[in-house]
Amino acid sequence: MPDKSHVGRRYTAPGQRIAPESAQAMAQAIAGDGEVREAGAVPPTFAAVYCLGPTLAQLFSDSEVGIDLAGLIHGEQSFEWPEEVHPGDVIDATAEITSVDTKRGMTFVRLAMEATRPADNAVVCRATSLMIVRATA
Amino acid sequence: MTAPALSEVAAGVAVTPFSRIVTQEQINAYADASGDHNPIHLDSEFARSVGLPGTIAHGLLEMGILAEAIASWAGGNANLLSLSCRFSKPLLPGDTIICTGTVISVDDSGVATLEVGASSDRGDRVLTNGRATVRLSR
Repeated sequence: MPDKSHVGRRYTAPGQRIAPESAQAMAQAIAGDGEVREAGAVPPTFAAVYCLGPTLAQLFSDSEVGIDLAGLIHGEQSFEWPEEVHPGDVIDATAEITSVDTKRGMTFVRLAMEATRPADNAVVCRATSLMIVRATA
Repeated sequence: MTAPALSEVAAGVAVTPFSRIVTQEQINAYADASGDHNPIHLDSEFARSVGLPGTIAHGLLEMGILAEAIASWAGGNANLLSLSCRFSKPLLPGDTIICTGTVISVDDSGVATLEVGASSDRGDRVLTNGRATVRLSR
């Protein structure tokens, strides 16, 4: 189970290429049966794929932290997009555990993420996530 | 698409409400697109075994729909500068998500801050404590 000793632990995911077909698949999934409003654009929350996905996957498989996925809830999410991401961009992502608190049998893990585009040294996304881990039997 | 003009936007202006039915097929497509194949989204038997009423939509799918709603009002994705929310209640397949937003302030640089959120047609507030910032046109 995560505890305060894990604060400061970092996960890095360099070289995430924004594949146009992947961005389009997410735009269509968000649109459902409707039309994608900005065809060819990268949806803002595609940051779930280039920023959260590859770093959180490392957290979830970090046996020293030991998150029980059966009891995991995504509690809160924030994104800032200082620069727009374009298909074909290559993005480096990092995540850091910024706090771990336990209340009422639940563990609250906060993370801060940043995604940068090395080609022009632009920060393209800053994000924070709150993951809540419930104790399971 | 064009951003709303700075001269036309002030505190209290509301975003046009935006609603969309979320289906299990859409949730499946989002799982493939995002890489999040957690069975609570895909396997109703598993979802019930962990105390849910059935499969539930990904919170980030709901947030993606809210982002689209706000970005559309703001004239496009490039004008959506930030978005945050709490995932308060689950959205179930077959539910309609209803996204709303109201401007709470506009600064001198032409950036509007909005209170945003989403509820289901069953009356559950699914995305709460939401904030967004958007760039307005001059």
